[in-house]
Amino acid sequence: MAGLSRRIGAFLHGAALEPLVHFLAIGAVIFAVVMGVRGLERPTVRLEAQDIEQLAEYWASQAQRPPTRDELRGIIHDRVDEEVLAREALRLGMDRGDLIIRRRLAQKMSFASEDVGATNEPSVADLRAEFERNRARYALPGKIAFRHIYFSQDRGAGAAKAAAEAALKRARVGEAVSGDPSMLPQTYADAAPEMLQRDYGPEFAAAVAAATPGAWTGPVRSAFGWHLIYVQSKAPGAVPRLKAVESEVRANLLAERRKAANQAYLAKLRRRYKVEIAGVSP
Amino acid sequence: MDRAKLYLGALALTALGATALLMGGAGKPKPEPIPVPAVARTGHLPGYNADRNAYFGDLHVHTKLSFDAYIFNVRGTPDEAYRFAKGEPLGHPGGYEVRLPSPLDFVAVTDHSEYIGALQHAGTPGDPLSKLPIVNGLFGSDPKVIQAAFARMIMGYAANSLPPEFRSKPIVAEAWKEIQDAAAANNDPGRFTTFVGYEYTSAPDGRNLHRNVIFKGAKVPDTPYTALESADPENLWKTMDGWRRMGVEALAIPHNSNGSDGIMFERTKRNGAAMDKAYAELRMRNEPLAEMSQIKGTSETHPSLSPNDEWANFEIMDSYIGANRKVTKFDGGYIRKALKDGILMQETKGFNPFKFGFIAATDTHTATPGAQPERYYYGKVGRMDGTPDLRGSVPPDGKKSWDKVVVDPDSTKARFQQWGSSGTAGVWAEENSRDAIYAAMRRKETFATSGPRMRVRFFAGYDFPSDLLTRADTVRQAYAHGVPMGGDLLPARGRAPAFMVWAMRDPSSGFLQRTQIVKGWVENGVAKEKVFDVACSDHLKLDTNSWRCPDNGASVDLKTCEPTRFKGDTEMRTVWRDPTFDPRQRAFYYVRVLENPSCRWSTWDAIRNGTPPAPGLQTTITERAWSSPIWYEPRT
Repeated sequence: MAGLSRRIGAFLHGAALEPLVHFLAIGAVIFAVVMGVRGLERPTVRLEAQDIEQLAEYWASQAQRPPTRDELRGIIHDRVDEEVLAREALRLGMDRGDLIIRRRLAQKMSFASEDVGATNEPSVADLRAEFERNRARYALPGKIAFRHIYFSQDRGAGAAKAAAEAALKRARVGEAVSGDPSMLPQTYADAAPEMLQRDYGPEFAAAVAAATPGAWTGPVRSAFGWHLIYVQSKAPGAVPRLKAVESEVRANLLAERRKAANQAYLAKLRRRYKVEIAGVSP
Repeated sequence: MDRAKLYLGALALTALGATALLMGGAGKPKPEPIPVPAVARTGHLPGYNADRNAYFGDLHVHTKLSFDAYIFNVRGTPDEAYRFAKGEPLGHPGGYEVRLPSPLDFVAVTDHSEYIGALQHAGTPGDPLSKLPIVNGLFGSDPKVIQAAFARMIMGYAANSLPPEFRSKPIVAEAWKEIQDAAAANNDPGRFTTFVGYEYTSAPDGRNLHRNVIFKGAKVPDTPYTALESADPENLWKTMDGWRRMGVEALAIPHNSNGSDGIMFERTKRNGAAMDKAYAELRMRNEPLAEMSQIKGTSETHPSLSPNDEWANFEIMDSYIGANRKVTKFDGGYIRKALKDGILMQETKGFNPFKFGFIAATDTHTATPGAQPERYYYGKVGRMDGTPDLRGSVPPDGKKSWDKVVVDPDSTKARFQQWGSSGTAGVWAEENSRDAIYAAMRRKETFATSGPRMRVRFFAGYDFPSDLLTRADTVRQAYAHGVPMGGDLLPARGRAPAFMVWAMRDPSSGFLQRTQIVKGWVENGVAKEKVFDVACSDHLKLDTNSWRCPDNGASVDLKTCEPTRFKGDTEMRTVWRDPTFDPRQRAFYYVRVLENPSCRWSTWDAIRNGTPPAPGLQTTITERAWSSPIWYEPRT
């Protein structure tokens, strides 16, 4: 026992003479002092002149006059209180698990990412490309001038079609034929395909669209019975020139880019996290 | 389980949308750019028709700007509501996407003007509204506290007693501007019409006196006149008169008289005073139309008021609006009775405060205008009734049977069960523009449907040509020799008028089984009513003793909702003469068109869920359309 303690004593004595040990000990003392001083130093709440100006302006915009000196003192006092309370709350971790703060932060982040990803003014080539890609979106609907003769389904299942077929033969040799009255118009000067589809059904709309102008065709089925169709003229769906719809194209392009940028940003963020929902990774 | 059902519903809706998309591809443009053909300068919009076209719309639509809709988790904006009506899809608070099978022609967004736009402020951290004590706890973490805050807000809303900050000028102005901007941006003459509007939300003691205010043009007051100013609609009408003097034209449409517990069409003024001619004129100047049907029930008539009408029991909602409280008084809450009271007052007192035409709407609170087909009903109030379980069409908690399941009759679920998938507005107008459609509403040339886009025409006259129905210009002749729906028929030296009725099915809904004329008249100082069938489907013969068509035999397979094939007509038309016509008796006539029976939304929900339909609910309904009345005025 005694031998062991003597050996430790000798070791310590030797160590005390080592310069490295001196160096470490002095370092530890300095560190302790610095930490002690830091602990005594208080964090700073600093309001700059422009912050105060902003507070005063905000106050003035609500009160419709600038604050007096006393009022300004009160404003500054409140602002400092707010800052101190907020910092203390943060220090105590009150921001964690708070719905409002989480929402606000998420909102800020999504606004910020939208700003960062703000898309540049599209070039003429970009606009042209968007326009070409989505021509259908900018198209004006086609207009068809036609008349039709209607044979009501209420005549009976086969009777309406048979009557229509018989009438077609007569119409084709130039005889005047008539069918049943319909609440829908018998002539259209400018029918749009989507309107025909809504009012008569898809089969009828497609038949009118496909009919050759200047001849009777049919019988064509609708939601109401059978029809003979005579297309007078067709103005095909026209795509306007880019110039005429440029502002619409630009707005759509910017909206699409913004949406794509947001989605890409969120996807990138998601890759940085592992998502678990009810213990399961989707 | 629940999630699976949701996906199924969403899938069905998506499929529907995809079909609509595919069908829409018919008119694909040619690849080469072609100069736009110059439109002939006729002064008319495309589609103009001097004989007038039927346009379909919805003048009762709520978005997130409505206090209650925001609470229902609805975040759709007025702009999104208009775009939805034009055919774009929109997210439902239930987590799925919805889409209108076919676009509408005209729409008004009509948010509740009381506390309009306030809740999104209350729900935004940092907003002064979010710091009010009444909001306190709404965004906390304790569900009990959240619920308490919620209840506090809803009670304050219902009682119009929320703090004044909820109706501060900047908030109202911001919402009102958003509504006007959305209407302006989406109005597209010739293709789609928007109206600026709002809902005046008066409900004294919870009894519904709501009205939708629809403005003719872009010129509107700085702020809406709300029920916070006065709960008495008479003051609304006086305010509207004031607007009119300043060049702001508007009309008001009362709705859900069925939830008014007898006060919407009470026979005195709201303050209990007797009505007079000035009051009747003020009312009619501002309220030419009444809402016949919407999701919260149909207000035509109640079985207790029309015991001889076999079709009176249709989508009856017999509770207060937004409260689990039963209506006790049906008289004064239904339209047919009000029309009868009106002609009786005209006869005895010389004025008629209830001379209105008909219109229908959805009252959607999910920013999605347009009646939903029964098959795809997704409810009205967002997260409150967005699943079959919530609206009581399937057994709760994934159960497969209704055994031992009791739906509390005083519960919200029981109220949702009574709601119907209803409401389409029809107007007869020359073209699709604000001016033409508004003019149609002013002259009451409007009709209402329970959802399907049926068309109905109705004329009365003394000198129709004998071949009226078989001519190519039937409608032109009818206008030339008669008055259309909404009009007054004057006496002609004791002659009896003829009534021309013409109905046409919705190409994407059921076939028609019969067309009826509902007559109300004054006889010996008493107002009476009678329903006449006037046209039968399937070449069936009308019994002119009972004035009933034979049953056409159409029914529905409740396992599939498949209707009987080859039953019903596509169109029905007739010229009818009233065998009971007495030239001295004041009367009104309106048309009711009935479809074959079809599955109610609750049955569709049940089939998809593989469970029996909910007990106590009608499995099928008879979809219908109502024309506005024609009044026979023997003495004016």
